Amino acid sequence: MSTPTTAAVPTKWWSGGRSPFNVEYGKLMMWYFLMSDAFTFGAFLIAYGTIRFSSTSWPNPNEVFQSYPGMSEGTSAPLVFVSIMTFILIISSVTMVLAVRAGQEMKKNKVVLNLILTIIGGLAFLSCQAWEWTHLHHEGAWWGSNPFLNEDGTQSSTNFTNFFFTITGFHGFHVFSGVIINIIMLIMTLNNVFEKRGHYLMIEKAGLYWHFVDLVWVFVFTCFYLI
Amino acid sequence: MQPTTHAEQHGNKHEIRNVTIILTVLTLLELSLGFAMMKMADGSTAKISTKIAIIILMLAKAYYIVGYFMHLKHEIRNLIMTIVVPLTLFIWFIIAFLGDGESYKNLRNTYDAHKKAVSTQKVEVKKEVKEVHVDDAKH
Amino acid sequence: MSNEAVLHTPSSYAVHDDHAHDHHHHETFITKYVFSQDHKMISKQFLITGMIWALIGGLLSVLFRLQLGYPDSKFPWLQDLLGKFWVEDGRITAQAYYALVTTHGTVLIFFVLTAGLSGTFANFLIPLQIGARDMASPFMNMLSYWFFFAASCVMFSSLFVETGPFSGGWTAYPPLSALGQASPGSKTGMDLWLISMALFVVSTLLGGLNYVATVLNMRTKGMSMTRLPLTIWALFFTAILGILTFPVLFSGFILLIFDRNFGTSFYLSDLYVNGTVLPNEGGSAILYQHLFWFLAHPEVYIVMLPAMGMVSEILSINSRKPIFGYIAMVGSLFAITCLALIVWAHHMFVTGLNPFLGSIFVLFTLLIAVPSAIKVFNWLTTLWRGNIRFTPGMMFAIGFVSLFISGGLTGIWLGNSALDIHLHDTYFNIAHFHLVMGVASFFGMFAGVYHWYPKMYGRQLNNTLAYIHFWVTMIGAYLIFWPMHYEGLAGMPRRYYDYSIWESFKQFAELNRFISTVVIIVFATQFLFLFNFFYSIFKGRKVTNTNPWGANTLEWTTPINPGHGNWPGEIPEVHRWAYDYGKDDREFIPQTEPVGANESHH
Repeated sequence: MSTPTTAAVPTKWWSGGRSPFNVEYGKLMMWYFLMSDAFTFGAFLIAYGTIRFSSTSWPNPNEVFQSYPGMSEGTSAPLVFVSIMTFILIISSVTMVLAVRAGQEMKKNKVVLNLILTIIGGLAFLSCQAWEWTHLHHEGAWWGSNPFLNEDGTQSSTNFTNFFFTITGFHGFHVFSGVIINIIMLIMTLNNVFEKRGHYLMIEKAGLYWHFVDLVWVFVFTCFYLI
Repeated sequence: MQPTTHAEQHGNKHEIRNVTIILTVLTLLELSLGFAMMKMADGSTAKISTKIAIIILMLAKAYYIVGYFMHLKHEIRNLIMTIVVPLTLFIWFIIAFLGDGESYKNLRNTYDAHKKAVSTQKVEVKKEVKEVHVDDAKH
Repeated sequence: MSNEAVLHTPSSYAVHDDHAHDHHHHETFITKYVFSQDHKMISKQFLITGMIWALIGGLLSVLFRLQLGYPDSKFPWLQDLLGKFWVEDGRITAQAYYALVTTHGTVLIFFVLTAGLSGTFANFLIPLQIGARDMASPFMNMLSYWFFFAASCVMFSSLFVETGPFSGGWTAYPPLSALGQASPGSKTGMDLWLISMALFVVSTLLGGLNYVATVLNMRTKGMSMTRLPLTIWALFFTAILGILTFPVLFSGFILLIFDRNFGTSFYLSDLYVNGTVLPNEGGSAILYQHLFWFLAHPEVYIVMLPAMGMVSEILSINSRKPIFGYIAMVGSLFAITCLALIVWAHHMFVTGLNPFLGSIFVLFTLLIAVPSAIKVFNWLTTLWRGNIRFTPGMMFAIGFVSLFISGGLTGIWLGNSALDIHLHDTYFNIAHFHLVMGVASFFGMFAGVYHWYPKMYGRQLNNTLAYIHFWVTMIGAYLIFWPMHYEGLAGMPRRYYDYSIWESFKQFAELNRFISTVVIIVFATQFLFLFNFFYSIFKGRKVTNTNPWGANTLEWTTPINPGHGNWPGEIPEVHRWAYDYGKDDREFIPQTEPVGANESHH
């Protein structure tokens, strides 16, 4: 700009020649991609809600999701295992924030450390999900088969498990791709790609994606396990 | 010189710590409501209002994740608007879909006596039902 | 980071800006014409692929119109040409008829009027008219085309499957689309259809994100949002609609794929096929319709808005008058975008939708008449007392306005749920949407091609051929679709294979034959356009003037054949809006010209 901007002169964000949001295009695209992805998940969850609303009764999640690895027979511990999964994802989100911040401060080692922690968190979450899926599968639940009864004791349709596996599967796929992205970021960081570039903006975008995965889990967790 | 908006105040350490604590507390609150809900009767006012409370907590969690972890709170107002405003479409999306789902149930229960009879029949033997479905599972 | 970096780092050529015109990269045939990252080349790829699809889609409609117009005639030569699946005993088979109708709809709506229209013109016009060297991410732009190409290949291959392409209507409603045993077309053909559409959604999203990011971030100095030409506004809103709704369709399709292949029953319940009870229980077919129309209604506007934007621009340029009510035009585009997102269920009034909910959808739907009317009146007042130049592009733009009015008015009928009970799924509906979004958008596309052809290829199209093309298409469109209103009002349902066996619809035999004859003539006329287009690429009159139409917008400040990067030197700065025509006794004032000291205000 030709004239130095002073505090008194309002910045003309929209007059062209610059980003009106002061962000580079990649971050903008990532935000709008996440917005559209929110509609993908939204459509899934709303479809689930629609079917649930059009059913007379529905299985009680507390009777379905009540196990954790190594639990003794005959006991039930609803919500325990899924709470652990939720915390794992929240904590991995926190480490991702720390990685992004370290990137802004150009501290390579801190970025590496936090990315590794985030990847571990993601893998831990995926392992938990794999265990849960296996457990449910052993109970007879799968796409097209639902061993659980409705809360009022009537026969439940298979849509309870259909939606559960489809939506958590789609979310799990997002976690998986997030882990892959984070691994790529880690490799790029270790190879000093960002140091040479002079900024860690890529990590910010990967971070946005990762937080979005966490965000979706907040909704999936509430919709499937709590209510 | 360009005015910078986010370099300087990018989430200080306290902010990250506070948001982590808030998210943990909110999740614990959700869980305790979830546990409390187990004893309530299906369809009772108490249960429905607990569910609404849980949804509000969920939205609060979403707010903290998007606002602080995803850093949207510290972006330029216009960017916030371009992301938040389109999301309001979800309001009508949800109302229309769920409303029509509810209506579908009511219409069927009103006009399809057989359907209603079947859907209110209680299943007696739990174990057997399970076995049958496991066999069905293989396709 | 600084804003300068924000703007310039993404585009690699910005770095070697200064020598961009001295020496180009070594461009091979592959990087220049096939895997090109130049937005202009990508737009031509979209355009030509779209034209091929339009040809196929049009041909399909000619085939099924043969069946409808001449149900008793036999076409043994068609059987030799197409084989037994399509034509048996000299007659188009019922299965083939449904396959033709379905593929015609899918191809024209998605591949021609979405990819071919907004893919072409968003790619071509956004960087040129906002003053950018290319899209925000040229690489994603390239991917967008190649995903579309892959979708095209899959869709095309489905035409050659033994059981035929999908034949359950372009809306692909379950249970017909979900159950392979329900219809031959629901077997492999439907699998390919779904794969193709999924690829198409990816293509649209990649493109749409790019368009939005480019319009927001890459405008040149001085190009504030309110100085954008209306084309850009329209393409911008189109991209937003796509970003918000295509994912919902994607989800709907994923659930459908599960229903087809993995034994779920999201959309299935209480079904008998050929006397067999199906185990599926608890799903809702209406749910699919909701998910589908959540995209497919905005899709109508994804098709319409680019045409509206280009028409606004072309009308203003060729009337030598500023567009009437620029802000109102932008506002109505915005209003249409918002309303488009919340009216989807007006396609479902008779499917068991809650009537109370339906009445809210009626209200929202009828509200769309307001911004649409604003646009129509603004177009008409732009023409009013203008110094009109009837260039081919202008002719098609005016034709667009005419078709939009004729087709739009019947939309008000159909938007009322009570009337819709009678008119739903009749030829009235066919007439309505073909006029208002099918032919009208086609006219917008033709207008765009005729108008921007000099910029695309540096040559002019032949005007005589263009005028013949216009008049035959214009008159033909009305002759084809106007009579359909009468058929529809008489209750003639769409998608029937043969009306001659129905006592109530026998009276329309002559009319159907007439329509089919006109279809053939209009289809044949399109070859004039195709010939004109391809011939003129190589042999057309060369453009000698960088600004052949005397237009204000930035694309006409580039060289006649702009290279990758568009402007050889600096990107021009913008000082005014795009519509200073006939101001202060000057015919036009380009956007790059600074506002003079004693210039009048508008």
